[in-house]
Amino acid sequence: MSDFIERITAYIHWAVFLLLEVLSGFLLFQYNHYQGSVWFTQANIAAAQVHEWEAGILSYLRMPAENAALVRQNIVLQQQNDALRHKLKTLSNSPLKGEKKGSLPLREGWGGSLNLQFSMIEARIIDNSVRKRDNMLVIDVGSNDGVAPEMGVVSGTGVVGIVSAVTPHHALVMSILNSHSSISCRLRGTEYFGYLKWKGGRPLRAYMDDVPRHAHIKKGDIVETSGFSNVFPAGIFLGKVAEIKNSRDGMAYELEILLSTDLANIRHVAVINNHSKAELDSLLTQ
Amino acid sequence: MIISTLKRMAWALLLLIVQVLVFDQMHPWGYGAPLLCPLIVITLPMGISRSEALLWGFCTGFVADIFAGTSGISSAALTFIAFIQPPLLELTAPRDSDEELHPSFSTMGRWNYFRFMALLLLLHHIIYFALESFSYYLLTDTLISMTVSYLASLLLIVLIEHLRNNNEG
Repeated sequence: MSDFIERITAYIHWAVFLLLEVLSGFLLFQYNHYQGSVWFTQANIAAAQVHEWEAGILSYLRMPAENAALVRQNIVLQQQNDALRHKLKTLSNSPLKGEKKGSLPLREGWGGSLNLQFSMIEARIIDNSVRKRDNMLVIDVGSNDGVAPEMGVVSGTGVVGIVSAVTPHHALVMSILNSHSSISCRLRGTEYFGYLKWKGGRPLRAYMDDVPRHAHIKKGDIVETSGFSNVFPAGIFLGKVAEIKNSRDGMAYELEILLSTDLANIRHVAVINNHSKAELDSLLTQ
Repeated sequence: MIISTLKRMAWALLLLIVQVLVFDQMHPWGYGAPLLCPLIVITLPMGISRSEALLWGFCTGFVADIFAGTSGISSAALTFIAFIQPPLLELTAPRDSDEELHPSFSTMGRWNYFRFMALLLLLHHIIYFALESFSYYLLTDTLISMTVSYLASLLLIVLIEHLRNNNEG
């Protein structure tokens, strides 16, 4: 009998090994369901607090550069605003084509009542990664600040990601550098739209699929959000066309996009709260 | 026993802090940054029970995962090398060595320790990057990331171990 027990205990480490590996595997696959897993991520209280201290120190060190960048972005945005306002004026004077009627409310939203439909919640990134296949970031605002899942996150240079889970004081954001990310986008000035996806590898390269072959595209064309998903308002910068390739089946173009936002190098972002999203969503589910 | 455990905990904590605060924030050209946590498992002494070694591996990985957002990946990789470490240590350690040998350059000899450490680190990196890139079709990117991270980790660990050795001896 004692011999038997000795034998068992001699091999107990196999059981421990298997148990721990199964546990790891459970954590690994559980994590794929982003919504339910916020406690096992960087957004849990302890990890978020440590990252917040660190971000505080780092952002203090980087303040001058950050400020300069913000000022520059502000100027650029003001100029763009101005140009857009001019365009809107000319657009509202010209009769709209029948086909464009669908996008009318969004256009109005941009021009007249931007503040009513979308509000911004400013935030700081406290944890970030770009080298994984599924990159996530953590920001220092949460449900107490009005952040909810599925809200869009932008920086001064363009789209950053979409909120996937929230705790009271923090939010976990699925970066556009995530294999699950898919952002509805279009080519600026055209009605060609598609989905922006990231395929891993270089953090500044993403792809836009299913662009019809009859579309006139050239390198350098600007890719922006389409506004179809209600997560982002239309017209937010995503990047520029860097390469025009054939899709796998050869039926459409696949565009390689040079992203405008260097996710490895941002600190300040804003969460976009679309006040009419709930309304629109309830319409869609009816 | 308690003191050595506490010492090991402090050592693990130190490496984890450096990993989380410094190396997890590095993105060299978007490729893999060095991973230091395997050193905690590599330096586990001889004569420790195998279950205990496994727990060290898992717990270190669990903490590293939470801070890096790599849920389950580090813990799986570190548990695996914690399983391999004791028999590999027996194989590579000098025959006349102490029963409670603490693996390092001075106790095992430079080449022996390097071989032992580099092999465990390689196994760790293979598992880590394989799990990270589950169903990943950019094979070359993963391989480059793995190689970059492996060489960086190896260099760093040799440096740390060299310093540790000089301080002890």
